Amino acid sequence: MLATWGVVLLQAWASGRLHLLLQPDFHGLVLAAGLLLLLLALAGLRWPSGAGRRRPGSAVAVLLGTAALMLALPPRPSLSTLAANRGAADPGGDGLTFLLPPEQRTLTDWVRLLRQQPDPQLWQGEPVRVSGFVLTQPDEAPSLARMMVRCCLADATPISLPVRWPATAPLPPADRWLAVDGVMGVERHRGGDRSIVLARQVRPIPEPARPLEP
Amino acid sequence: MTAPSAGQLATAWAVFQGLLVEALPFLLIGVAIASLARAWDPRGRWLQRLPTGGVPGALSGALLGFALPACECGNVPVARRLLAAGAPLATAFGFLFAAPVLNPIVLLATWAAFPDRPWLLLLRPLGSLLIALAVTALLLLLPEGELLAPELLAERRLVQPLGQVGLLERRSGLVGGAGNLPAPTPFRRPALAELLDHGSREFLELAALLVLGSAVAALLQTLIPRDLFLTLGQAPTLSVLSLMLLALVVSVCSSVDAFLALGFAGQVTPGALLAFLLLGPVIDLKSLSLYGRILRPRALAVTLVAVSLAVLLIGQWLNLALL
Repeated sequence: MLATWGVVLLQAWASGRLHLLLQPDFHGLVLAAGLLLLLLALAGLRWPSGAGRRRPGSAVAVLLGTAALMLALPPRPSLSTLAANRGAADPGGDGLTFLLPPEQRTLTDWVRLLRQQPDPQLWQGEPVRVSGFVLTQPDEAPSLARMMVRCCLADATPISLPVRWPATAPLPPADRWLAVDGVMGVERHRGGDRSIVLARQVRPIPEPARPLEP
Repeated sequence: MTAPSAGQLATAWAVFQGLLVEALPFLLIGVAIASLARAWDPRGRWLQRLPTGGVPGALSGALLGFALPACECGNVPVARRLLAAGAPLATAFGFLFAAPVLNPIVLLATWAAFPDRPWLLLLRPLGSLLIALAVTALLLLLPEGELLAPELLAERRLVQPLGQVGLLERRSGLVGGAGNLPAPTPFRRPALAELLDHGSREFLELAALLVLGSAVAALLQTLIPRDLFLTLGQAPTLSVLSLMLLALVVSVCSSVDAFLALGFAGQVTPGALLAFLLLGPVIDLKSLSLYGRILRPRALAVTLVAVSLAVLLIGQWLNLALL
């Protein structure tokens, strides 16, 4: 039983699933815990306790069932479902992102920048090259988003950039990962001006190996 | 609420795995500390020298958090070990309720997340200490037999001096009792095999509870929009209550909840923010199931109500003082 859970943790670590579940700081901890569980299982074989007490059946069933499911069914969260449930994150950051050339700013950098310097006139016309997943919203056009994670998926919160999609193509479906090339523009929104990405080229990309932003 | 869609179920499954994979290492650390303590001092002589009185006992327990840094999943096995080794009730409860906040890792994380709110850095440990003292005092009004889970109580009786427990209560097999306890005499150092076996069983039993708690937490937080909690953010009392509910449901570890709170700190009242940071470490859906290994249902209910009331009062007080 210990060995099974050791394998579950190690498999999550080795298969890269952890990138979808946890912030990288915690990955070493999961690896260590997996190894320790395997060691404990081996030690239990080497030095069996004579007692041979039975384990409670319900706990065994819950643990074995969960372990089997976790090995068989990798996590496939719908990030936009997750995001729809949660308010926007404050990306924090040091405020030095304006030093980066505009084409090199990631989606996170842009969101930080717009939060620190919300005046849309400042950024009008700057080139934008970002990638993220499509986040659909009830009353607006879909935006391009990333998930910020401090610890695990349970605390993931979305950050997003509004996008004016090219009129020639249909609106992209939720959760699709896209790379967007365009320029920053200004649009009227709820009585004020806001920055919006005017997309020129939109290209589907595979889901990145590390879909979560630390 | 409509039936959950396939996307929601897939998302809940992923959140569940995230919660579980993150909590298991901490649970393992807690069980390891508890097992080492058992190997080092099986009779708990050192523990029995701790102050027994309500306030000094609870204080000493709370301060143990600085020595044994663990978040709320790790500290349940440690607190259970303290109790099984015969530590004063007040010490063990003080540890159980305050250690998830009063430890260097959590305080550092709080400071890192809110460098601009020094009052939070002061009020979070202070509030959690107050809550631990109040709840411990309340729980001590119940007799030990109605407080502790039966299995734990039996283990505890074995190490308590005979002056405190009658033979009948002790159930050592000689007089009365169902004799359902295996025979490890606590007065020798446990063998490695026994330690391993005991530690593994402890880990597996707690892990099974953790699975259940994480499942409930993952389902609820995927199905209930978080905005529901945050839209109440500006009303002084309602905001405190709604963030308390959020802390209960979200179930993230106390070492990281400050960073999570950072995400919505701007949208809620200061009292609600403090309430979120005070309640989560003591009670959430994930750890509630673990508490069942320590407390009887009635004591658990008392704890739940007392902690919630204390947090509500503190949050409300802060809102009155600041708003």
